Amino acid sequence: MKLENTSTAIKAYEKLAEVNSKLNCLVTSVKPAKEGIPIVLKDNVSTAGILTTASCRILENYIPVYNAHIVDKLNENGFACIGKASMDELAMGGTNLTAVTGPCKNPYDLNRISGGSSGGSAVLVASGVVPVSIGSDTGDSIRKPASFNGIVGVKPTYGRISRYGIIPYASSLDHVGYFTTCVKDAAKMLEVLAGRDDRDMTSSYKEVLPYSSLLNSDMNGKKILVFKNVTDAISNKEVINEFNCIVNSLKEKGAIIKEVYFDETLMKAILPTYYIIANAEATTNHSNLDGISFGRRVDGDSVDEIMMKSRTEGFGPWIKKRFVVGSYALFEENQDRIFRKAQKIRRMIVDEVMKELKDADALMAPAAPGKAPLINESSSDELTDEYLIADNHMAIGNFGGLPSMTLPMGYVDNMPIGVNITCNRFKEEDMFNIALAIENITGLADKTKEVF
Amino acid sequence: MNYDVVVGLEIHLELNTKTKMFSGAPYKFKSEANTCINEVDIALPGTLPCLNKEAVKKAISLCLALNMNIDQLIRFDRKNYYYSDLPKGFQITQQFHPIGSHGHLDIYVENEYKTIRINRVHMEEDTAKQFHLKDVSLIDYNRAGVPLLEIVSEPDLSSGKEASAYIEKLRQTFTYLGISLARMEDGEMRCDVNISLKPKGSDVFGTKVEIKNINSISNVKDAIDYEIKRQSELLDKGEKIIQETRRFDEASMTTISMRLKEGAVDYKYFPEPNIFPIRIPDSMIEEVRANMPELPDQKSKRYLHDYNLSEYDANVLLANKYLANYFDEAMKIAKNPKLLCNLLTSELIGLLTKNNSSIEDCKIAPKDLASLSNLLEDNIISSKQGKMVLEEMYNTLKDPESIVKEKNMVQVSNEDELLNIINEVLDENPKSIEDFKNGKDRAIGFMIGQIMKKTKGQANPKLANDLLTKKLMER
Repeated sequence: MKLENTSTAIKAYEKLAEVNSKLNCLVTSVKPAKEGIPIVLKDNVSTAGILTTASCRILENYIPVYNAHIVDKLNENGFACIGKASMDELAMGGTNLTAVTGPCKNPYDLNRISGGSSGGSAVLVASGVVPVSIGSDTGDSIRKPASFNGIVGVKPTYGRISRYGIIPYASSLDHVGYFTTCVKDAAKMLEVLAGRDDRDMTSSYKEVLPYSSLLNSDMNGKKILVFKNVTDAISNKEVINEFNCIVNSLKEKGAIIKEVYFDETLMKAILPTYYIIANAEATTNHSNLDGISFGRRVDGDSVDEIMMKSRTEGFGPWIKKRFVVGSYALFEENQDRIFRKAQKIRRMIVDEVMKELKDADALMAPAAPGKAPLINESSSDELTDEYLIADNHMAIGNFGGLPSMTLPMGYVDNMPIGVNITCNRFKEEDMFNIALAIENITGLADKTKEVF
Repeated sequence: MNYDVVVGLEIHLELNTKTKMFSGAPYKFKSEANTCINEVDIALPGTLPCLNKEAVKKAISLCLALNMNIDQLIRFDRKNYYYSDLPKGFQITQQFHPIGSHGHLDIYVENEYKTIRINRVHMEEDTAKQFHLKDVSLIDYNRAGVPLLEIVSEPDLSSGKEASAYIEKLRQTFTYLGISLARMEDGEMRCDVNISLKPKGSDVFGTKVEIKNINSISNVKDAIDYEIKRQSELLDKGEKIIQETRRFDEASMTTISMRLKEGAVDYKYFPEPNIFPIRIPDSMIEEVRANMPELPDQKSKRYLHDYNLSEYDANVLLANKYLANYFDEAMKIAKNPKLLCNLLTSELIGLLTKNNSSIEDCKIAPKDLASLSNLLEDNIISSKQGKMVLEEMYNTLKDPESIVKEKNMVQVSNEDELLNIINEVLDENPKSIEDFKNGKDRAIGFMIGQIMKKTKGQANPKLANDLLTKKLMER
């Protein structure tokens, strides 16, 4: 399904109940008041008058009084929201197993995860219900599920799309992005969503380009870096084969391919660095969730008790664990040793990558080491290179605020796998052009897996 | 035993910007509860802070007035703590890089000038207001997010008198700059006192006690005076001062312990990620400097040196920005500063007070008061007539010249005319001439009265007196 097939919101809305019964991907379905291009929003996007829970119990009754900046933009551009999609609780996770509404399922195999945290948004595009959906990406929360569901997932440059009205996870890493089924739609969507918003001081004044009209798949002289640390860490031969096929085809089309091997210690530090910064910012960002002026309140004998009980009952155990980790990193006595150190290492990782990327057009790697895991699969060993590097490298895009996107690369055991490209800041034009060339090579535009 | 008193003050000042520090919600003091708020102020999920440029300009103007170093890279930090008056669960403040540092302010206490160093001025946001009733607590979020400046002095103050002079001088500075009305009774300006005592001449500071939220300048003085007495009595008895937070109780005029300082709270300060550091251009600072009004110190110099006013008169004028500005406006026309000052500070203010009005609302234009002052200076009318004219000006808003003309009030200052009248009076009162010759000065008063009667009170008293004395001598 593509953006061009406009004004089918009501038809799309009618499919929701059945799709949701199979994929468990929705928090709220929204009957569109008028026709428009159907779109689904991740449930951390504030919608005036419509329940917005971020898949978290403490917000189970929260109805915003204002629209996120992008919601107004979508309304102005003829889109009609038909639903609020399931996500990992407060966007803190990569599996979509932690949503208060339960796990979201992969349309290619209902026993497998959608990936997260923007899982619901991903599967509603992958299953062909909507041509586009909104997600958010703090580590790889758009680009990983895009890989698992065989669609396009875009996280543009930090500041390119306003974050106003997006329930945050970690402010310095949070990006608003989206899913589509093809590169052309991805370029079009950025034209709709990007631009300065005075309510988000980190949003950019830079001109928004007509990305979709600028699309050009000519790869002659394009410099593309192959991320060797990632390909070396992946054990699945089929993933590597698919990836190498694309690299070779790009070379045939005139691209200059260079393999780069970054400092291994820094690459292994991506996950712990991410974990510290993201959780530290998250614990203070979510201090407003106290049951006092909005949200689910648990009564108590004092204001303090109300706040404590509301928070104790309002969050899942994994969230509390992250808050504890984040608080610990921020304690005055620990800050130098943990939080500030993590910020320094974040800078070192970005510098390490930028010293190569600044003279190239893109950094390219498989988006994940393999297909989507089973819902019941025990979590992998978190200390292997495969996990530390191949499963988490895309956080580099968040560390540096770099534009980064995932698009379909091929299939392993009939399950989709994706390729990721990351470019220089505000070089979305380059990113879309290279993505288009890859899409032409794979022929995997507009692939959906219907479940209805 | 004798002690050195060491006092430092932390002042919180609400700025009078149209909107809040980090949100576009309008703020007006004394609005109905929860009507000056938007989604940012109550910290609804997804909201982001947006810095108020006017607030930054006002902070810059204060930094300039207090002779501070200005950090042109504006940075904000989060101060994290859970409290129901703090909607976000953190306050955005400037912990690590205050906009102003190393400033100073001169105060005048007991006929001496003293320089008080100011450690820092930083920008932050106010909290909501809470009302704890019997069964419920109510929260008014109107104040949440109102721009605050925190002004922290060095411990350079050594008495209640100095502290109150310092606050008064700061308050004047705030109002002259037009950055706040700085009414302590309304909480627009709040003061925390840090006070410790040490043996006279000692280099070692004593244990610090904090007195919180004192709501008037005189209470600051009283709280410090009480605390000096309390602490010195304890120290005299060989007892230790406990590090604690106290509050001032107005009824008993004492300070009362609120809580002990057991291990400071860890606020987990860290840089606010939603506001990147902002570079203030030199041009913005110069723009603020160019638009700064004349400050009390500069005015004071002018009053003392150019106008020869007394320290007392100058301070009366300076205490109220509107009064000083009225005076300055009138001085563009008035010839005699001292005469104008008296006319303004006793006659006009007296009249306004009698009518429950104030100089801010005064309808008499400064230029008209200046004309009145000149009529007096030139002896066109007498001071008694002056009072009548002023009252008439107040009631009718006519200019003094018209009133004087209408009422035919012009003083008889023509020598020939006066001499005729004096000769008449002398001829009619030979007894008084005799009394005068016998040394009875009262006779002059009687004859002046007669002159006034004949001129309907319009004789220039000084001239009449001089001429009468001269004529008496001749007889």
